[in-house]
Amino acid sequence: MNCAEFQQVLPGTEKGGRSAEQELHLQSCSVCSDLVSDLDFIVREARTLQASEEPSPQVWQSIQAEIAELRSELDLIAREARALQASEEPSPAVWKSIQAEIGDWQTEMASIAAQARELQASHEPSPRVWNSLEIALREEGLIRQPQRETVPMSSRRWRLGWLVPVATAALVAFGVLLYRPTVVNQGEVAQSASPRVFHTNNQVSVKDDQELLNAVGTRSPAMRVAYENDLRDVNAYIRDAEQSAAADPNDEEVQQYLMDAYQQKNMVYQMALDRSLP
Amino acid sequence: MDYRQCATRTTLIVMLVTATVVVCQTRKEFRYTVGPHASVSVVNQYGPITVTPAPGNQVVVTAVLHSDKVEIDQSQSANRVELISHLLPGSTSDSGRVDYEVLVPPDASVSLHSSTGPLRAEKLHGDVTLEGATANVDVHDISNAHVHVKTLDGPVILSNISDGHVEITSISGNVTLDEVSGPLVQVSSNSGKILYTGDFGSGGEYSLMSHTGDIDANVASYASFDVIARSIKGRVENDFLLGPKHTPFAIKAGSAFAGTLNKAASSVKLSSFSGKIHLRKRQP
Repeated sequence: MNCAEFQQVLPGTEKGGRSAEQELHLQSCSVCSDLVSDLDFIVREARTLQASEEPSPQVWQSIQAEIAELRSELDLIAREARALQASEEPSPAVWKSIQAEIGDWQTEMASIAAQARELQASHEPSPRVWNSLEIALREEGLIRQPQRETVPMSSRRWRLGWLVPVATAALVAFGVLLYRPTVVNQGEVAQSASPRVFHTNNQVSVKDDQELLNAVGTRSPAMRVAYENDLRDVNAYIRDAEQSAAADPNDEEVQQYLMDAYQQKNMVYQMALDRSLP
Repeated sequence: MDYRQCATRTTLIVMLVTATVVVCQTRKEFRYTVGPHASVSVVNQYGPITVTPAPGNQVVVTAVLHSDKVEIDQSQSANRVELISHLLPGSTSDSGRVDYEVLVPPDASVSLHSSTGPLRAEKLHGDVTLEGATANVDVHDISNAHVHVKTLDGPVILSNISDGHVEITSISGNVTLDEVSGPLVQVSSNSGKILYTGDFGSGGEYSLMSHTGDIDANVASYASFDVIARSIKGRVENDFLLGPKHTPFAIKAGSAFAGTLNKAASSVKLSSFSGKIHLRKRQP
């Protein structure tokens, strides 16, 4: 027996039902042997798939509902026919129409049954199948975890909103602490404590200014230069007023300069962080 | 011949560009019915805002949008009207520009914000608040109202403000006050100059203060005020013959002066850290 003869009779044979000649050929031919093993695998998988792809309860329920509705209609027709028969013998035309009606319903029921069978064959895979597919795709790297939302620009901008009150409070507190006129040991306070505090506060101020300018530059690069110049002017004003106040702590006029300078700086910060301006 | 052809081409190109610009612009109009003392706020990142009074009880806003990169968010809550230019991604100072013209009832309070401006308000008697970084600010013919102005570099011009509660802060913009009077007039500048022309009213407090900017006050000879002028590191000059006045600091010739003129109805304080101060007698 050659391959062509074996493959011709293959659809009609089953395992255990093959002739000695067929078995002999199968053992000697790797092509036909592979073909038979492939077919066996397909048959096994088809049985498994059929078993696992049972339609969902909703499908069965809808089919049952459809059948129940048809059955009730048939019962109604039968009752009417009996009633009609009881009242008076119908004419042959009536019987014919009833038979035609029943024939129609039978055809429709056959159609529904065929649709149900198609539905069973082509029903969507079960969640288990979807899960295995998802796992396989995730392992292949074709499905990724959703990325976290990036922080929007506006909220990033508002992260610096705290600078206004904090910087203002720090600056004003610094001014009040440093230049409040005192009666005792005024010179000592001015010479020892004040320069240290000024140094720290100045560092904070420079850092705050830089953060502010970066924030402005991010939103509107053209405005950065303007704010940079104005901050330089304001800081120079603060420095001048601080030095004058340190030289003469009792000069109220000079303290007003200092307050004015801080207010100007406060205004620059407020305008830079104003949500409405670029 | 070549010259004529070139001129014709240039004209056509200019017309084409102009037509393109005009086509890109969108004009919108918003109308709101409001009650007395309404509040109108316009926030515009790029472009001018002009506010003028109109009879009746309507706020009419005409906005010209220079591109589709900007849109207008507008709302009315009771007596409050708010318009905000909403910049869309990719907008620039040109494409994000909106030109606003706002008509309001004369008693309306107005708040205008624009980074580039200019900002203009006139002939109102409600409160006016103007804020802009580099915006030119022009406010005139306002009476019996608060006028608050803040700029970084933008120059500020106020004229014919009567009975005003005026507060101006500018870092480096020049501030010009012409016939501005009221219970409180306060100017704070850093490097910008302050120029005052008027008579200091009759009974107000005036404070003009700067860091390095010069202060010039041109005052009518009939004005009635007492004055303290002082520059820590700059010079001061005075054209008036003033009566004596006590000061909390020692008067040093050339850097400070103080005195009274006529009945001293108003109080004037001119202070600069290192700018020059000059109290001039205004020529009739």
